[in-house]
Amino acid sequence: MATGSNGARRIVSLLRPSLVDSGVCRSCQQTLGRRNYASAATEASPSEASSTAAPPVLKPVYTINAGMVLSRAPLVTRDLEPFEKAYHFYQKRLNERLTLPFTKYFYFKRGTPADADWKNKIRERRTPARDIGHYDPYGPEAWNDELLVGSRESDPEYQAEMLVQDAESTANNTSQDTSKREEIPRPFPRVTEADKKGDHHSLNRLLPRTLYLLVQSNEGYWKFPSSPVEKDESLRGAAERTLVQSAGINMNTWTVGYHPVGHHVYDFRHPRPGQATGTTLHGEKTFFMKGRIMTGQANLSANMQNLKDFKWLAKEEIPQYVLPQYFSNVKNMLSDR
Amino acid sequence: MALHNPLRRTAATITNSTTTSMLLSSTPQTTGPSTAAATFICSQCRHATLLRRPKRPYTFTQLITLSDGSTFTHRTTSPAPVYRTTRDTRNSLQWNPSSNKLRGLEDDEAGRLAAFRARFGRSWDAAAAPPSAIAADPKDPVAQKAAEEAAKAQEQAAQEEEDNLLDLISSFGQEEASSGKKKKD
Repeated sequence: MATGSNGARRIVSLLRPSLVDSGVCRSCQQTLGRRNYASAATEASPSEASSTAAPPVLKPVYTINAGMVLSRAPLVTRDLEPFEKAYHFYQKRLNERLTLPFTKYFYFKRGTPADADWKNKIRERRTPARDIGHYDPYGPEAWNDELLVGSRESDPEYQAEMLVQDAESTANNTSQDTSKREEIPRPFPRVTEADKKGDHHSLNRLLPRTLYLLVQSNEGYWKFPSSPVEKDESLRGAAERTLVQSAGINMNTWTVGYHPVGHHVYDFRHPRPGQATGTTLHGEKTFFMKGRIMTGQANLSANMQNLKDFKWLAKEEIPQYVLPQYFSNVKNMLSDR
Repeated sequence: MALHNPLRRTAATITNSTTTSMLLSSTPQTTGPSTAAATFICSQCRHATLLRRPKRPYTFTQLITLSDGSTFTHRTTSPAPVYRTTRDTRNSLQWNPSSNKLRGLEDDEAGRLAAFRARFGRSWDAAAAPPSAIAADPKDPVAQKAAEEAAKAQEQAAQEEEDNLLDLISSFGQEEASSGKKKKD
């Protein structure tokens, strides 16, 4: 992936195809090769002659694949860390002590039901703010602004709930119709049903995370949708075709760029004969294009890529499914959030 | 003001009293008391001073609910705890160009609008109506009959190429009117 000395080493290893064995890692291959030369120097000349007899220099042939890393962007902001919650809560209570007092008569006309309701609530919670719990910024206990362990006041969900409850009670106290209770809809939960059920097919899961589409081949391997690039086809075109052929047309997607965001090289354990006569394939190289899904859902029922299942996974769930080598190649192009 | 400054400045106006001449002992005698109009005596005080509240208005946390149900909180001077928007980026056509609902396109499922237009509509609507009416619903027997009739009329028109255009238009309009009557029944 990174060029430089690493790339140079790779080129060197590619130029000595006789030593390439996919079962041995690259650095071990190098040391083996070096030891070969060293031992050749110490050994007798006939073996040296055989080693310098130059293995037939043939370029290893790889299949070029185009893949699509289709992602769904996060739908909600991330969850706050406990420290961040505590910090924001502290700032709110500090702000109570530092700002000008709330000018009630500017907002509430004297003698109105809203005014009476406001007075009742202030008497109860000692402060105009609804989301900082029971706290009196002007009293002698104003210094005591820290939360006890286990209290929920710093939770954003709790604060939103308190706001909604306050709006509801105001609506009920000030309305003349006492027969029916006003209901204000709560914000939607950040944890969806798909999360609770563990439904990996749903796009409605893990809202604060980026999800990626992974497909399972009939042999059981998980991967990003990818297929060989055909003749006279660009990488982007091939990636889009792959997506349509594997996950169906019922998705509104957008391919981000014309350049791949990452690649994965897979060396076969033993070279295979290629489709064209006389060629041997040493492996396949997959280049991944970046894509976004706007609407729709994957559907493998009409796929032409020998796939049997798909999942929408966050980054940290992917290593459970793909091979370790595959994940180490693709992990740097996946978003942490 | 004087309470808050740790460095207290006292302006002593020079008078002809003995204290001022004692204080100004360092100054040379050549400069008369009339030339040095005022001097400041600074003394440090270390007691706790009152911090003034900054002149910032009181702000509440408000929960904003957008028209699609997404929510966020922000700080505002408004004492209303919850605010529901009726129009925002979530139901504006400008931000949702692919939404047919927002674009105000009618989905004419039963073909009733098309039938109405064919009968009473303007000329260009009437001309465009038949294909949409045919495509509207193949299950409705009346519409299918009308479609067959229209197809027959088209065949006839193709056969009788020498018929004049006016004749064709008049027969076309009559057929439409008859199909409309059938629908009404």
